[in-house]
Amino acid sequence: MSDRRPPAPETDLSVRLGPVELAHPLVDASGTLDVLEYARRYDGDYLADFPYAAYVPKTVTADPRTGNPPPRVTETPSGVINAIGLENPGVHAWIAQLGEWAALRAPVLVSVGGNSPEQYAAVISALEAHLAAAPPGTVPDVRGYELNVSCPNVVGGLQIGADPTATAEVVGACRAATARFLLTKLTPNVRDVTEAGAAALGAGADGLSLVNTFKAMVLDRDTLRPFLGNRTGGLCGPAIKPIALRMVAEVARAFPDTPLVGMGGVMTGLDALEFIACGATAVAVGAANFTSFEAPQRILAELRDEVAARGFGTVGEARGIALRA
Amino acid sequence: MSGSGQTHDDHRQWAETSHCRVSAARHLGGFAVLELIAPRIARRAAPGQFVMVTVPGEGYLLRRPISLFSAEADCIALLVEARGRGSERLTRLEVGDVVDVAGPLGSAFPTQGVTNALLVGGGIGCAPLQYLADELAAAGAHVTAALGFRDFRAARAVGAFTIERLSVATEDGSVGRAGTVLHLLAALDVAPGTTVYACGPTPMIAAVQRWTFHEGLRGYVSLEAHMACGTGSCHGCVVDTARGKLRVCSEGPVFRLDEVTP
Ligand SMILES: Cc1cc2nc3c(=O)[nH]c(=O)nc-3n(C[C@H](O)[C@H](O)[C@H](O)COP(=O)(O)OP(=O)(O)OC[C@H]3O[C@@H](n4cnc5c(N)ncnc54)[C@H](O)[C@@H]3O)c2cc1C
Ligand SMILES: Cc1cc2nc3c(=O)[nH]c(=O)nc-3n(C[C@H](O)[C@H](O)[C@H](O)COP(=O)(O)O)c2cc1C
Ligand code: FES
Repeated sequence: MSDRRPPAPETDLSVRLGPVELAHPLVDASGTLDVLEYARRYDGDYLADFPYAAYVPKTVTADPRTGNPPPRVTETPSGVINAIGLENPGVHAWIAQLGEWAALRAPVLVSVGGNSPEQYAAVISALEAHLAAAPPGTVPDVRGYELNVSCPNVVGGLQIGADPTATAEVVGACRAATARFLLTKLTPNVRDVTEAGAAALGAGADGLSLVNTFKAMVLDRDTLRPFLGNRTGGLCGPAIKPIALRMVAEVARAFPDTPLVGMGGVMTGLDALEFIACGATAVAVGAANFTSFEAPQRILAELRDEVAARGFGTVGEARGIALRA
Repeated sequence: MSGSGQTHDDHRQWAETSHCRVSAARHLGGFAVLELIAPRIARRAAPGQFVMVTVPGEGYLLRRPISLFSAEADCIALLVEARGRGSERLTRLEVGDVVDVAGPLGSAFPTQGVTNALLVGGGIGCAPLQYLADELAAAGAHVTAALGFRDFRAARAVGAFTIERLSVATEDGSVGRAGTVLHLLAALDVAPGTTVYACGPTPMIAAVQRWTFHEGLRGYVSLEAHMACGTGSCHGCVVDTARGKLRVCSEGPVFRLDEVTP
């Protein structure tokens, strides 16, 4: 964007998400940005210019998944609804592609899905074995995992995240499979989001990310039948932001020093700052990626301006402001 | 990557956003032909490719996929039909307005070595065919087009086309021949080895596919799907094909006619 004001370099936006140093708080939300697809459509070196502080790829499962029948996505008032169904090539084909984006400079948090503790752990074990044997420079900088126990569009995903016992089993199996940083991504489709959070942390998760999408439905306006091939889907975008903020605040209050990735409807730098004010350490950007290729650069510049304009020396000074009595 | 008969990756895709000024706008009933100053897109584009257009104003989150109606020198043109909120807003753009456009995206119609081309379009599906006709004609191919529309209002789009050998059908008989595009095809004298290019509603694609097989011809089709990213990231736009589930925004929108299952 040529009309952007020059950033204020004195504002320190760096944050620590557990052991992972991030140059700024923004990461992409799983499933909304594919680094290889962007690199193919970019004039320069996208892997070097990657705008987010960490890369969260689309959720990968042990076996290949073909996903849900189309249509899979559409716009709603101030939102987007999707029912992709975790389409992915399976962990082995996914690993075979790692060399193509090994030059990505940003740290990577791999999103993992499955229907059972064994399936989640199988993804992590396969990747850990590959990383251990891979010559330097042939794999990206994998620092940790985000366990997606919260996809509303597959049989199994949401049920795990809605059940604290099942969540703990998945996290426990994954904890045994890796020493790396382990996030658990919570579903908002529960009465109390802190219950699954407590279960995940109790079973060895290092941090939490939230929210995944809200289970929702849109109708075809001509036929009045469900529009999506899967009948229901997951709602995201600005429509969910106020609920996501409330949930992030609840989790931050319940688990004060836990690394938290907040998300849900972040379209501007101010939105991102609001999640930080509600206790998020880092902020993920999902649907906004669909609005423009350059959305992350814009949101980051806006965040920098918002932090500076409020007189904060570091972005960390804003963390948790909304939680104070 | 571009194997013989494959359409995937024949043309480079490019996704950075350009702020484009509307340099001409022509209104034809519920349609508009918008000419945009977009040198970076125009220079790289090929027929069949599309752009993602940001609908100006509040309340539109996803960009709208729109085919290239033409691309020449520094300009691209789009033929837009007002179908819902967003496309209706686009048809109201005026000269001097600025819109954000990303592209060109997706696969292009293969045109190499084509001497006889038959372009078949239904409704707003006709949009990519003008650009295709221009390129084929410039390469010396013999181009015939058959366009079908529901009624008089839908057929207003014909006014945007400048294809020399063009026949039109409407289902209500108000413009051109009464009937569907299939009636036009049946009346044509099609040279052996003609390449068929089709785009339009699903039932039309299925019928053209059957007709093409029956005539022993090969061809290509441009498909539509609801999209979120338009750039291969979200897997929102997949269609079933003989090669498995493929993304309309990346492997498509142009596919081989014999590999799609409309
Ligand atoms: C590759 C491709 C090329 C296209 N080329 C043209 C063109 O040249 N001219 C033209 O007028 N139209 C074209 N379309 C269709 C155009 O994208 C839709 O008419 C438009 O998105 C409708 O938006 P809306 O806001 O008016 O409708 P709404 O129904 O209000 O839109 C809601 C959401 O559904 C999506 N959507 C609705 N209908 C369609 C559809 N038929 N296809 C894809 N997405 C849809 C919208 O993009 C939006 O995200 C093309 C579609 C594709 C996939
Ligand atoms: C098209 C699409 C695909 C998604 N795929 C995944 C996924 O594979 N794994 C996951 O954990 N979340 C997935 N999500 C959810 C997002 O990561 C994010 O949690 C949600 O969209 C809320 O953020 P947003 O409002 O900024 O989009 C997907 C969302 C969308 C819109
Ligand atoms: S629209 Fe996102 S992959 Fe095609």
